[in-house]
Amino acid sequence: MPAPCLLELEDIHVRGRGTPRLQAVSLRLRAGERVALLGPSGAGKSTLLAVANGLLVPDRGRVLWQGEPRARSARARRRQQARIGTLWQDLRLIEELSVQQNLNAGRLGQWGWPRAVLNLLLPLESEACARVLRRLDLDPALLDQPVAALSGGQRQRVALGRLLRQEPALLLADEPLASLDPRLAGELLALLLEEGDSPRALLLSLHRPDLLGGFDRVVGLRAGRVQFDRPLAALDPGLLAELYAGAAA
Amino acid sequence: MSTGTALAEPGWAAPDRWRPAAPLWPLLPALVLLPLLALLPGLSHGGGWNLVGRFALAALRPSLDPLVLASVLRGLAVTVGLALLGWALSLALGVVLGVLSARVVWGHRAELIRRLLALPRSIHELLWGLLLLQLVGLQPAVAVLAITIPFAALVARVVSDQLDALPTGRLEALRAAGVAEPAALLTALGPPLLPQVLSYGGYRLECALRSATLLGVFGLGGLGTELRLTLQSLAFEELWTGLWALLAAMLLLERLVGWLRRRWTMPARFGLGSDTGSTGSGTPGREVGRRGRELLLAAVLLLPLLVAVAWGLQVDPASLLRWQPLPPLPPADWAAVAALPWPRLVANTLVLTLLAAALAVGTAPLLLLLVSPWPWGQGLVQVLWALGRLWPPPLIALLLLLVLKPGVITGALALGLHNLGVLGRLLMESAEHSGESREQALLGAGCGPRLALLYGRFSGLARPYLAYGAYRADVILRESVVVGLVGATGLGSQLLEALSGFAYDQLAALMLVYAALTLLGEELSDRLRRRLLSG
Repeated sequence: MPAPCLLELEDIHVRGRGTPRLQAVSLRLRAGERVALLGPSGAGKSTLLAVANGLLVPDRGRVLWQGEPRARSARARRRQQARIGTLWQDLRLIEELSVQQNLNAGRLGQWGWPRAVLNLLLPLESEACARVLRRLDLDPALLDQPVAALSGGQRQRVALGRLLRQEPALLLADEPLASLDPRLAGELLALLLEEGDSPRALLLSLHRPDLLGGFDRVVGLRAGRVQFDRPLAALDPGLLAELYAGAAA
Repeated sequence: MSTGTALAEPGWAAPDRWRPAAPLWPLLPALVLLPLLALLPGLSHGGGWNLVGRFALAALRPSLDPLVLASVLRGLAVTVGLALLGWALSLALGVVLGVLSARVVWGHRAELIRRLLALPRSIHELLWGLLLLQLVGLQPAVAVLAITIPFAALVARVVSDQLDALPTGRLEALRAAGVAEPAALLTALGPPLLPQVLSYGGYRLECALRSATLLGVFGLGGLGTELRLTLQSLAFEELWTGLWALLAAMLLLERLVGWLRRRWTMPARFGLGSDTGSTGSGTPGREVGRRGRELLLAAVLLLPLLVAVAWGLQVDPASLLRWQPLPPLPPADWAAVAALPWPRLVANTLVLTLLAAALAVGTAPLLLLLVSPWPWGQGLVQVLWALGRLWPPPLIALLLLLVLKPGVITGALALGLHNLGVLGRLLMESAEHSGESREQALLGAGCGPRLALLYGRFSGLARPYLAYGAYRADVILRESVVVGLVGATGLGSQLLEALSGFAYDQLAALMLVYAALTLLGEELSDRLRRRLLSG
């Protein structure tokens, strides 16, 4: 029996200036499925991810989360939102806070006011945070450090750690490897693909088609349309060449 | 950046990890609300609530009587005119004095001028106004001069500080090339100074409007006088006609200043939080050329306007020289002066200042957090803040006296509410331009709007906001004299008493102590500000 459907995008349209940014895009993601999104610059990858994480409401089409449309009430909406984690290219860490407080920021969707404020006075759940750091190969002694004092690679991991604390059912990432050197990129990709405690779906946009090893499925996007959507095994070089044909690298 | 020990100075830091993080700092001063709320029931004198209710209702139905409207408009024109004249004079004078008191221009002689300028700066425009009133009688020129004296000294300080903070490389290069000194100064220091001065000048124009209204409350002409009279005669409908008109004028002015600031790509008022500033303009080269032409045009248009305003208000500078004969004064009684309860006066002034500052600084972020989920709530808060900064503190104090007993806390509430309006606007504007992406990331992870604001935006704003709060506390100390009329508020009320009786011996002593206190406060606030901003 196939895993239940987590996120369904049906016939999504997003208007843009002049040409539409997305046209009739449909995509289904099952729990635990790992999907790479490929396409030349301007193909609509970022737009698609913004629709998937709920920050962008499409002009037309339906977005279903676990078979249900987006919740109307703010509270229910937040509960849905908490199940979707996003790794931002600019990380969006809170520079003024410590590593531990940043990791705990991933829990804010679950926490109420009192805990959130307490976390700013006396960082909470040190054990869980230390576990996350160890899993990311970081020294738990960093918990007390301000994020601003970390190196680039460490910051990258703390951002991922915040996502691990959030425990999302779906992880989205927009070109997370774009600005990293090859070694860091490889490490981060391995961490992203790592099996967690619970099955976690992954939708990740990539600029380069040479890093597809760990994915289950590949979706090719071009000029706002899905050009192909097939298992990794069924991907042939011709398809990729066609996807990038005539596009500036 | 330091390593997270921002507040961990000796004597403060708890040894362990109990330490408020940056997002909480702006909220800490709001703790002052707890004792205040506990004390308020005891301060209430029981009556007056029906008057407050009538006052609030009258906001919805201001008087539209043509006579009232005409007098409000006339009053508003006078207030705006006085503000404009005082502002323009202070700006011109302040730039000249600022250049003269800059070390880079005049070396050690500058230091002397700088010291001399501390005195006019430390005395509030209201005191200047009331002093001049005693000396030359009621003249429009009195209000203009009252605004000009302290404002010019304030502008001079900002200008000289800016000048001395500029890198001197270009100036030295020009001097070495044998360029005449004035030309060298103008070429090397003029262009970087101009945007700063204009931005600060815009802010001072807003201040001038507030000051002109305040001076009116004390009888120096304009709308303020009518506001006070209608409040005291409980004619609330007519009072609100004036208040709404003033609100319209103030918001219009603030919009205009903000628009010009953006158009001429000038720095925001105090550079408060712009980590993700998106104000980059496409073509800087052309911008500068256009800006130069428009500035010149504005200056050319401003001059005839100022002359027309002065003529319309019948401002007669010569009248300032015709001193009224003073009544025969008794010999000074220094023993009586020494017998004044100095420690209590000073302590009350300081308590008043700190209470008002904490109230204003802490309540603004608290309110912003509370209303953040609702757009209508934000609109409501914005209107309340606009009213707060529009109302001269003595008017707020008079209104509070309808239900509260006079005293330090009532005075602090009045000053605090007024400054809350100023700080709140600044905080809201800066919050809009800072930390947006971080807030978005938190919202995307299912975080509520309040917590997203607290974690995402307040963390970056904390330092610059508190630094501005320190500056504001300095302003509040100066302003504490204006709520002197609600009684027993320390040096302020004693000063007003000495002024009305023209007890010149007391007056001189009080002014001196007050000025010393203000300068001390300025120094402390400066240090605090520098520490906060250097991180």
